[in-house]
Amino acid sequence: MAKSMGRRAFLKSSAGCAAGIGWIATASEAKCPPAPRVARDMNDYHVKYYPFVDYPESDTCWSLSVGPDGRIYAAACGEGIPGGVVKVFRYNETTDKLDFILDAASAANDPGDSGRATQCKIHYSFAPSMHDGVLYMATHLSGPPIDLPAYSPWYFWHDPERCFKGSALIAYDTKADKVLWSDTLIPKEGCRCLLHDEERGLLYAISYPRDHFIIYNLKTRERRDMGRIGSVNSQALFLDKKHRVWTTSDYGKLVRYDPERGRLEHSSVSLPHNPAFQNGWHSVFYDVVAQPDGECVYATTWIAQPRLLRIWPNEGEWPVVEDLGSMTQDRDHTMPVDTFVDHAGGLVFGGDGMLYVVASRWRDPVYNPMPPERKRHEGVIWRIHPKTLQREEVAVLSEPDPAQYVSRGAIDHNGDLYFAHIGAKPQGIYKVTVPKNRKKKNAHLPIRMWG
Amino acid sequence: MMSTQRKKYDMNSPERGPLSHEIMHGAFMKEGTMVAFPACFPGATTPIVADESLITALDITPEGIVHGGTSGKKVHLFAAAFHGVKGAVFDIGAVDGAEQCVAVCSGSTHLIAAVNGPQGGRLVRTAPESMGSDMIQEWGFSRKPIEDLGEVAPGDPMQHAVAVKDVVIGTTTSRLFSVNTESGKPQIVGEVTGAGRLGVSGGGVYGLDGATHLWRYDIANGQIQRHAVALPAGKWGVPLMWSRGNREGVLYTADNDGVLFRFSEKNGFSAPLGKAPLTPVGPMAVTFDGRMFGFCGTEMARMFGYDPAKKEVTDIGVALSVIERRRYGYTFADAITGRDGQIYFGEDDNLGHLWLYFPKIREI
Repeated sequence: MAKSMGRRAFLKSSAGCAAGIGWIATASEAKCPPAPRVARDMNDYHVKYYPFVDYPESDTCWSLSVGPDGRIYAAACGEGIPGGVVKVFRYNETTDKLDFILDAASAANDPGDSGRATQCKIHYSFAPSMHDGVLYMATHLSGPPIDLPAYSPWYFWHDPERCFKGSALIAYDTKADKVLWSDTLIPKEGCRCLLHDEERGLLYAISYPRDHFIIYNLKTRERRDMGRIGSVNSQALFLDKKHRVWTTSDYGKLVRYDPERGRLEHSSVSLPHNPAFQNGWHSVFYDVVAQPDGECVYATTWIAQPRLLRIWPNEGEWPVVEDLGSMTQDRDHTMPVDTFVDHAGGLVFGGDGMLYVVASRWRDPVYNPMPPERKRHEGVIWRIHPKTLQREEVAVLSEPDPAQYVSRGAIDHNGDLYFAHIGAKPQGIYKVTVPKNRKKKNAHLPIRMWG
Repeated sequence: MMSTQRKKYDMNSPERGPLSHEIMHGAFMKEGTMVAFPACFPGATTPIVADESLITALDITPEGIVHGGTSGKKVHLFAAAFHGVKGAVFDIGAVDGAEQCVAVCSGSTHLIAAVNGPQGGRLVRTAPESMGSDMIQEWGFSRKPIEDLGEVAPGDPMQHAVAVKDVVIGTTTSRLFSVNTESGKPQIVGEVTGAGRLGVSGGGVYGLDGATHLWRYDIANGQIQRHAVALPAGKWGVPLMWSRGNREGVLYTADNDGVLFRFSEKNGFSAPLGKAPLTPVGPMAVTFDGRMFGFCGTEMARMFGYDPAKKEVTDIGVALSVIERRRYGYTFADAITGRDGQIYFGEDDNLGHLWLYFPKIREI
């Protein structure tokens, strides 16, 4: 593990110091830095796709994480299926297959044919517990009741027969391979993202649709609702060394919960965005990964032309936010582009100490006229040097087509990378076997404590 | 594990499209336009701190200046205006030691607010903000001091208050009081029981008197008449709500089941008018053509309307703002009628916005 150092020491020691400093911007400045030089290293990263063959109806995979046992867990969701439920799979490195672990409907005693919205997915809500080998998972909503074609939490909020029972919190023992217990984490709402502060024994969650900040005490199994953040719903939480939990508001302001102060605080500036056509609205976190030394995090935003950010939460009253530039190509600014097309996610640190992130790329007659033999949409796996910030394109995801949207990434105990995929059926996950000289044992440690 | 025998929906059904559309879009407002305005002067100030900005009290001056009070970690008083060269919410200031504002009352020379905190309820007073600046070109604001008028009944939390010209009439949990906005010296008028808001109709102020009656305070002679008006048949007992923006003394209220009634000093209670889609019925206000709009339900309130011309209650839906601010509106605590007949709703939520509702224009 890298020795801990703060932002200033980090930059001072960096070979790419000059380039790095050139890109530093507080969120208020929101500059658009130049795209870094791209190096190609496409030979040694082997990509293999693992469809959920035991759940072929599944239609999304939002959650993929490494468990406390160093193995990879993925959620096969059934959100477009009337009565659909989420099933959890684990990659078996011995058989090179995905093993079925559990279905959340059974674990939560909330069957898919109840007539209510179903326990259809797990959305960025795996969170490990290292001391006891438990993997916590919290379910999300959107799947329709079995006898309806669609579900809206706003439409059915006051309908006791249809309304989602609530996000189910499931404690899964990865050593004994069994569900220990389940509870309702958030009544009537889904859990957009989950975080575990293991030292304090607390889970943190953001509810959907009301966007409330929830604290769950694992010892007492009591829930505290700290109130609403906004409307858009941030897609990630992260934890700093002071046990503060961070997320974002609708206008890309940093929001943190400080247990010492007992309240949610909002920063005054918005996260970086493209000021040519954006105003900070919807620049919420999409994905966040901590640098292994815990001094900073890297994040992408959930808006077109997602930015890569570096945030130093342990420094200053409010941290410096570095704008590391857009992760995707430029395009026609008069045309709103779907965040499904224009996207970056799957942030994970490799055993080589490099940041990996998957960003979409697509054919555009003006801005990116890719040759016809290439797929119209593809997911590019980038390897980014934290000191020089140089980006290398190390692999491309193109099957199943389209394959540009990666929700989450993780690294297993062997140092191989895994990415969850949203797109064409069959749904599944990618395993990216990393060159041997870029792997290490127990590469998943220190483990990511949020989904 | 509980299970039902429901048949799985056929996704090839021809009804799928319209039914899905109804489910996905049918919850939101079906008529009129909502605009959520942040608690700030956009481009010039930051909003009131998120957990100090739950808007729980509103009032309006004859000139159309909106005054409000927030609840949360702190109480803030604010002024707002959206006519002429204006368009801002001005944070007048925070009230020390207060966490809940139950009423703001606009007098001609002073603004009085009823607030609660760990020590109980009290009144505070400040000079009203004129919002007189040109808020496109150049502007100027100043913060006036907020004066503590003290407790009315020691230890008693404030419940509600209304302004009748320059006299504020209010209740604590056990007392009825009045205070002249100019003198700022509250006087206890007498004992009252009951919970909820006060309504003004004709020459009287009305409040819940137990579970069966209203008391009446005579504005002219300052006397309370207990059990002055019998409540109509219904389930009563929750904190009483009255509509604002009354015209010709007409007020609306609802019982625990959401059954709506019209009340005026002149004509008393009407027969039941209809039923709100959800309970409890929350803030309501009446626009110039007599239509009433309000919210009902907890957690995720729905807007509803009552049209006296059609004699019908309409379920309008979950509040939504898509002009400038994109925001869902879930919980509202107060409502007033604006200068031009628009309705202002105070959003009782973190990062509370002032919501302006422009009702659908009637076809002629």
